[in-house]
Amino acid sequence: MVSSKRIYRRIIVCVIITLILAFAVGIYSYAEQGEEITSRQQLNNPDITIGTGDGSAAVNVIKRELPNANIAYFEAVQGYQTVAQGKIDAYIFERLPMEKAMDHGLEGVKLLDENMEEQLKIAVGISPNCKIPDFENELNSFIKSIKEDGTLDDMYNRWVNEENEDMPFIESPSNPKYHLVIGTTGLVQPYSYYKGNELCGLDIELGYRFAKYLDADVTFKVYDYSGIIPACATGNIDCIMANLNITPERAQSIPFSDVLFTQPIAIMVKDTTSVKTGITDYIADGFYKTFIKESRWKLIVQGLLTTVLITLFSVIFGTLLGFVTYLLCKDGNKVANSIYKVFSTLIQGMPVVVLLMILYYVVFGSSSLSATIVSIVGFTLVFSIGVHGLLVTGSKSIDIGQYEAAYALGHSRLSTFFTIILPQIIPLMIESYMGEIIALIKATAVVGYIAVIDLTKVGDIIRNRTYEAFFPLIAAAVLYFVLEGIVILIIRRVKIRVTPKLRKKRHLLEGVNLHD
Amino acid sequence: MIRIEGLKKTYPNVTPLRDVNVTINDGDVVSVIGPSGTGKSTLLRCINLLEKPTQGHIWIGEDEITSPGTDLNMVRRKVGMVFQSFNLFNHLSVIENVMLSPVKLLKMNKQEAYDNAYRLLKEVGLSEKADSYPDELSGGQKQRIAIVRTLAMNPDVILMDEPTSALDPTMVGDVQSVIRRLSKTGKTLMIVTHEMDFAKSVCNRVFYMDEGVIYEEGTPDEIFNNPKKEKTRQFIKRIKVLTFDIDKYSQFNDVFSRLMMYCSDNAIDKSTYLHIRLALEEAVFHNILETRYEYKIHAQVEYSSENDKVLLMLDYSGDKHNVLEEGNELSVKCMSFAISDTEYCYDDNGNHLKLYIK
Repeated sequence: MVSSKRIYRRIIVCVIITLILAFAVGIYSYAEQGEEITSRQQLNNPDITIGTGDGSAAVNVIKRELPNANIAYFEAVQGYQTVAQGKIDAYIFERLPMEKAMDHGLEGVKLLDENMEEQLKIAVGISPNCKIPDFENELNSFIKSIKEDGTLDDMYNRWVNEENEDMPFIESPSNPKYHLVIGTTGLVQPYSYYKGNELCGLDIELGYRFAKYLDADVTFKVYDYSGIIPACATGNIDCIMANLNITPERAQSIPFSDVLFTQPIAIMVKDTTSVKTGITDYIADGFYKTFIKESRWKLIVQGLLTTVLITLFSVIFGTLLGFVTYLLCKDGNKVANSIYKVFSTLIQGMPVVVLLMILYYVVFGSSSLSATIVSIVGFTLVFSIGVHGLLVTGSKSIDIGQYEAAYALGHSRLSTFFTIILPQIIPLMIESYMGEIIALIKATAVVGYIAVIDLTKVGDIIRNRTYEAFFPLIAAAVLYFVLEGIVILIIRRVKIRVTPKLRKKRHLLEGVNLHD
Repeated sequence: MIRIEGLKKTYPNVTPLRDVNVTINDGDVVSVIGPSGTGKSTLLRCINLLEKPTQGHIWIGEDEITSPGTDLNMVRRKVGMVFQSFNLFNHLSVIENVMLSPVKLLKMNKQEAYDNAYRLLKEVGLSEKADSYPDELSGGQKQRIAIVRTLAMNPDVILMDEPTSALDPTMVGDVQSVIRRLSKTGKTLMIVTHEMDFAKSVCNRVFYMDEGVIYEEGTPDEIFNNPKKEKTRQFIKRIKVLTFDIDKYSQFNDVFSRLMMYCSDNAIDKSTYLHIRLALEEAVFHNILETRYEYKIHAQVEYSSENDKVLLMLDYSGDKHNVLEEGNELSVKCMSFAISDTEYCYDDNGNHLKLYIK
């Protein structure tokens, strides 16, 4: 029987998704007519808001050259789209990635011919806690050698001028002396980006070449710009290869190598003359770019699996941990209770992102635990507190007589809890437990901060390739909906099995001849 | 079977058990009676260690269960308990309630446990309810199942804590007849109850508890028909007592306001109240106090709800003085409207006058 309730629910979900789509398209076609910006000097005005990357060298350049303008911080691709929508007046950043973005589908913006006066210096960031001996000198002599023998020029020519996206074959050492961990962003073409689900780009090639030079094998870890400097400072990674600008602020936390290139800083403004594509073309094109091109669905599947993996293990371990802490605390043990109180106050008192960063950079900072495992640890802690709370409220709703009757029959405390009390708590609490799981699925979206590539992060990566906000976001939203729907279905099934009057199977009577 | 020595239980504010010493033999059916708050339930709960005794020792058979290394759960398997509020496990069907503990704790074969449970349910007339859940049953049915659940563990002794108090009067009989049948099987039972007639007919021993001890103990005949101690008698006859010590006329208002409260608390009807008042006023205030200022008077009003009779007892010191013979005529005449019978005696302690109120 399909209940009318379920039909209503489906209708509501469809309506919501349609609304999201309509809203997205609406924003896309929304355009505000403003005064056209044609020169750099027009921007030096308090009515102007200029976007740039937080912490990039461009920030200081803007402050010096356009002191009257306001600054807003956006990561590159978000910034470009914000300019296209007319929400900020200009985005000032390294010229090369902005040109590449416009070559690869970014619409509604243009670059002024005139650059900023100063230029960016791009180098490799070095971890002060790197374990490889004499690392800085090795890196600088490597840079010197590739500059001298023309390898760097050749790389620049291939990635930037020819746009040859094939990674050259670089032999990896068969018996490496070291293990090199490189931090990168995967967000900026042509330096470091995803082609399908593979990292490539000039910085990636540079990384492989440097590993060969060092006689090391190499791992890349993917961070946002906001997370990459702390990861390097604490030694989670040995160096940063991600078209990193040298700034005085950054130089205080980490040393830089010799300069790789110097690049001009360009100004992106809204192109009032650009023509919009039709909505059907836009949708078809967006779908193709998000899912089909370069087999990007593989990357989405990979992110989905990571999200599922983190959620699943956090639910399992969190439930177990919640039970353990509850059982330790339930009989009023003072030590256990006060320790738990401190623990739960600490964990609940901070945003999950902060908890994850503390676990990743501080607690497990020096261990080689993968970020996925650290995420599972973090969410296990968070989830266990939820489970503990459910058990406490659940057991309070059970009459004291149930405990007394069980004790009087000779059940131990543990047996009483598991055979008498718990089966009565579960049907009461299963809906709230489901709520906790769904909250957890949504909360996992922050793991991108510690270099885990989950569903949300995949959305970011694809957006940074397609210069297209809505399709990756909607794809992620729909996949989260689907995951939550699966959880709801599973819990409904479980609920039928654990509710006394709904269940069919009674394990106590299993295999018993009922004589009827 | 059960031996209790010097048992004491204190809570921060009250001491329900001061000093309990008793031996219960195999096959005894004991009923524990007494006013509420005198530790009857606490005594039962100490015997299966649901409450931890503050002091004292309890032996069940040869084993001292109050010694430190005792395995609580093993003790409790041998001591069944039936609660006032039934406490059936709500998530299990009737038959599962009965089977659970034999299967889980005694490791009984499921088939055997099922057959045993079914047989026991049949004995109490509830085999048809085997697949029902507790919330589908009446109180009487729940309590009979709770008894069956206890029996399924085959305990040496069964403690029943007011098993019929929470029941609708129409269901009390069903549960009592199950207990009555059980009492004939030779199982040791200890029942806290307020049903005197039931206790009289079922038990071979009665404990009257008061003041934190077993105040008086005996056969039902001894306790119910010839209680030796005053408090026992008052309890058995369901007597409510009000006492005054009077030595001044000015206590008049105080005495009558307390009398009025007492009468309304015990639902004593208006005419009886007026009779008590008349007898007290004439005898005490218009005679004894007026003629003999130095007298100390102890007055006691006893109301027995069993036969709805009131007795007024006056004890006063001094010379021999029978109010009804030597008092002023008007008073005596007035009092004759209020009393049906009198008794008077004079001894070393002074005058004793009993007035039976109409």
